[in-house]
Amino acid sequence: MIELYAIAQRPGPPLPDIAPLRELACGELGAICGTAAEESEITEDALWRHERIVEAVMETRDLLPVRYGTRFAGDEQAVDVVAARSGTLKAALERVRGAVELSFRVRAREPDVSIDVHASLQPLARESMTRPAPDEGELLRAAYLVERDRVPEVRDEVARLQHEHPELSLLLTGPWPPYSFVER
Amino acid sequence: MSTAIAEREVALVDLVDRLLAGGVVLAGEITLSVADVDLVYVSLRALISSVPTAEQGALPRMGSAL
Amino acid sequence: MKDKVLHRPPDIELFASERPRLDNALTRRIGADPENLERGLAQLVLTIVELLRQLMERQALRRIDAGGLTPEQEERLGVAFLELSRRMEELKDEFGLEDDDLNLNLGPLGNLL
Repeated sequence: MIELYAIAQRPGPPLPDIAPLRELACGELGAICGTAAEESEITEDALWRHERIVEAVMETRDLLPVRYGTRFAGDEQAVDVVAARSGTLKAALERVRGAVELSFRVRAREPDVSIDVHASLQPLARESMTRPAPDEGELLRAAYLVERDRVPEVRDEVARLQHEHPELSLLLTGPWPPYSFVER
Repeated sequence: MSTAIAEREVALVDLVDRLLAGGVVLAGEITLSVADVDLVYVSLRALISSVPTAEQGALPRMGSAL
Repeated sequence: MKDKVLHRPPDIELFASERPRLDNALTRRIGADPENLERGLAQLVLTIVELLRQLMERQALRRIDAGGLTPEQEERLGVAFLELSRRMEELKDEFGLEDDDLNLNLGPLGNLL
């Protein structure tokens, strides 16, 4: 079984040697994969191991991260499926070209606080999206698609917003591969 | 909770949100056989995407695989 | 990993209270509690299995009618479908599901079963 990590445009730079990886040719796209482990574990370590591989490839290349646990019986099956969707995948790659994802979460430290910090960050991003918060304490949970070289700018803006609003708690993580910006 | 542990935990939350719920979803193809006889080839993509158009008579491909 | 945090608030542990036991993360995503989750998933899976079983049965009959199978293959198919039906009944019993529970509404196509 092979495990699919990401999809990128061909040709590309050499794959990192963080793990034994192969790039399958699917027309203008490359399917970056490795040998699947015996079981499909969903443990913290397995997730980070997978993520580190995707991020290592992302260091030198734009890519579409694939959902965890995507496996195929063999190369042929993987190539068929990727090639069949090459149109939408190429468009998706174009959408995220040169950009990475940042995660932003806001909690209020006092009751009855309602400040729109999202409005300050949105202009710095190519795209943004918000998710429903899992509990009442969280005011905002957002993801931003940000040009690679603007990440420091977003970080600095968050620091500035935090300084300006001590009644809020701001958390920024990343850069992540653009998981939230690959589907329509 | 120490800062280091907290940082690891928050990063895990963000990771799980992405790795398990985001990213490209690729449907596979399956050939269903019963008693070693290949009977149905089901394209999951076709099945999932074509239900609204099926009323026009174009059912998803469900022929028998030779 | 801690190097993913670009900006941390002074009270970062507030964000860590959501510490996902990974099964919780999946449960939350599907929006159900673990007990209902099992039954809900069983319902979904069995509905799909029932759909496929009916499709395959129809296809098998077509193949038998067309005469493209050996007597042994036909015999094996018959036995297999009997087994499948029996197993479906057992699974439905196990999860307390009725035939009505396994009906998907396909919009313009009406109900599945």
